[in-house]
Amino acid sequence: MQALLNGLVSGLLIALPAIALSLTYGILNFANFSIGAMVTTGAYLAYIANASFGAPIILAAPLAAIFLALIAIVIQRGVYHQIRNADHVTLLVASMGVAFVLENVIRFFYGADVRTLDVPVARPLIWNGLRLNHEQLVIVVVASSAMAVVAFLLKRTRLGRAMRAISDDPDLAEVRGIERARTVDWTWAISGALTALAGVMIALDGIIDPMIGMNYLVSVFAAAVIGGIGNPFGAVVGALIIGLVEETSALAVSTTYRQGISFVVLVLVLLARPQGLFGSVRIRR
Amino acid sequence: MTGYLVSILTFVSLAVLIGFALNVQWGQAGMLNFGLAGFYAVGAYTAAILSKQGVGGFTATAAAIVATAAISAIVSLATLRLREDYLAITTLAFSESVRLVLMNETWLTGGTNGIRDIPRPLVRLIGGDYYEGFFLAMCLVLVAIVYLVLDRIIRSPFGRAMRAVREDDVVASTLGKNVLAVRVKAFAIGGAVIGLAGALHAYYFTYIDPGEFAGFITVYAFMTVIVGGKGSNRGLLVGACTVMVLLEGTRFVKDFVPLLSAQQASSLRLAMIGAGLILILIFRPEGLSQEYRLSIRKPLDPDPNT
Repeated sequence: MQALLNGLVSGLLIALPAIALSLTYGILNFANFSIGAMVTTGAYLAYIANASFGAPIILAAPLAAIFLALIAIVIQRGVYHQIRNADHVTLLVASMGVAFVLENVIRFFYGADVRTLDVPVARPLIWNGLRLNHEQLVIVVVASSAMAVVAFLLKRTRLGRAMRAISDDPDLAEVRGIERARTVDWTWAISGALTALAGVMIALDGIIDPMIGMNYLVSVFAAAVIGGIGNPFGAVVGALIIGLVEETSALAVSTTYRQGISFVVLVLVLLARPQGLFGSVRIRR
Repeated sequence: MTGYLVSILTFVSLAVLIGFALNVQWGQAGMLNFGLAGFYAVGAYTAAILSKQGVGGFTATAAAIVATAAISAIVSLATLRLREDYLAITTLAFSESVRLVLMNETWLTGGTNGIRDIPRPLVRLIGGDYYEGFFLAMCLVLVAIVYLVLDRIIRSPFGRAMRAVREDDVVASTLGKNVLAVRVKAFAIGGAVIGLAGALHAYYFTYIDPGEFAGFITVYAFMTVIVGGKGSNRGLLVGACTVMVLLEGTRFVKDFVPLLSAQQASSLRLAMIGAGLILILIFRPEGLSQEYRLSIRKPLDPDPNT
C-alpha cells in the first residue's frame, strides 16, 4: 500500500513535465530534449530566490515558475523560432544543445555541490499505517491544482482553443486567423512554469544538484510516450502508470534502476501499442 | 609537444570514428541516436572486461564490435515502425540504463571506480616508449579502413536504399525495399563502428569509468557530424578536426581568465560547445560539405524560372 501511495505521488510529480513535453510536442511537433535541464533550472531558480534572497518557499516556487516561463520564451524566440522551417530532427538536436547549455551554465555558477532548499522539517502524517510526508502532501496539492489550471486553460479559454487548433492542423489554424507565434510563446510559458514547479518539488523532496532533471528525463519521456505523445491528458495517465510501476518495482529491483524500469516499460509499450495508450493512429498519406 | 600532438590526433581519430558511425545512422539512414554514449560504453567495457580476463586485444576488439552491433540492432528494432523521435527517446533511455548498469553492477564493471590497468594489445612487442605513436598509427589505419568500407557501403545499392528510406520510407517500401531490414542493418553498421571506437578508447586510456560515457560524448558526435556536413564522410574529417581544435582551444581559456576554477572553466567550455551547436544549426545547417550524390555534374540546363 505504501508503495502504491508513493507511486501515485511520484506519478503526479512526473506528470507536470510530461504535460509540458506533450504540449510543446503537440504545437511544435518535436520532442523537447531539454525538458530535463529545464526541470533542473527551475529547481535552481527556486534555490536562488529561497537561499540567496531569503524568499520563503511559498514565494520562491511561483517566482521560479515565472522566471522559467520567461526563459522558455527567450529560448523559443532565440533558438527554435530561428530554425522553425527546418525538419523536426534539427529541432531535436537543437533542444539537446539547449539542454547542454542550461546544464553547464548552472554548473558554472553553482558547481556540482549538493544543495537543499531552506524549508522547515515537518513530521509525516500517519493514517492507518500509511505514511505521507509533508513534502508528498505538497506535491499532491500543487500538482493537482497545476493540472486543473492547465485543463481549464486548454478546455475553456481562447488560448487553449488556439493551442488545440494548432496542434490539430497548424495551416488551417493559421488560415482561421490564429496567431501562431503568440500561441507558441504561451505554450512555452506554460511548459516552463510546469517544469519549474516540478523542479521545485523534486528539490523539496530531496536535494538539488545539476543532474536532478536528467535523472527524471527518461521517466518523463516514458510517461509522455505511454500516454500518446502530444496528448496532455494521456501524459497524466502515463505519468501515474510510470510512477506506480517505478515504486512498486522497487520492492523487487534495486531503486537505483528506477530509470531502467521506465526504459523497459517504454519499450514494451512501444512494441505493443506504438501510438501510446491514448494516442490516435496517425494515418500517413 | 610531440606527445601532445600525438594524443590530440588520437582523440581526433576516435572522434572521426564516432562521427562515421553517426553519419551512417543519422546522415545516411536518418535514424537519430541520442544514446551514442551508451553504445560507446558497451564497446569500451566489452573490450576492457575481456582484456582483463586475458583475452587477446584483437579478439576483445572484435567482440566489442560484434556486441555493440548486436545491441544496436536490438535497440533499433523496438521503435522502427515509428518516427525518428521515438528512436531518439529509446536510445537516450538505453544510454541512461547502460550508465546505471555500469555504476551498480560492481562485480562486472567496477562500479563508479571503473576498470583500471586495461592491458594494451601488442604492448610487449612494441615497447612502452613508442606505444603512443604506434597506437596513433593503428587508429589512423583503422580510420582509413572504416572510411573505405563505409564509402563502399554508401555507394552501393544498399547505400541508396538507406537514403531512400531516410527521405521517404513509404516510397521506399512501395519500391520493394524492406525498410525494417535496411534500418536495422544501418543501425548495426553504425553500432559496429561505435564498438570499435569504444574498444580503442579503453585501450588508449587503459582506464574507464561510467562518468566518461555521459551525454557530452553524444553532443560532440553530433557537433562533429553537423560541422562536417551531415552525410559526408570527407567533410567529417574536417568537422572532427574543427571540433577538436575548439575543444582543445577552449581548454586554454582558463589560462587567460585566472579567476575561474577548473570546474567553472570546464562548464564554460561545455556550455560554449552547446551554444556552438545551436549557432551552426541556425546559421549553417548544411555544414561545411555536401553529402555524396550519384551525379557530380551540375544540371546542364538550369530552369530559368527557378
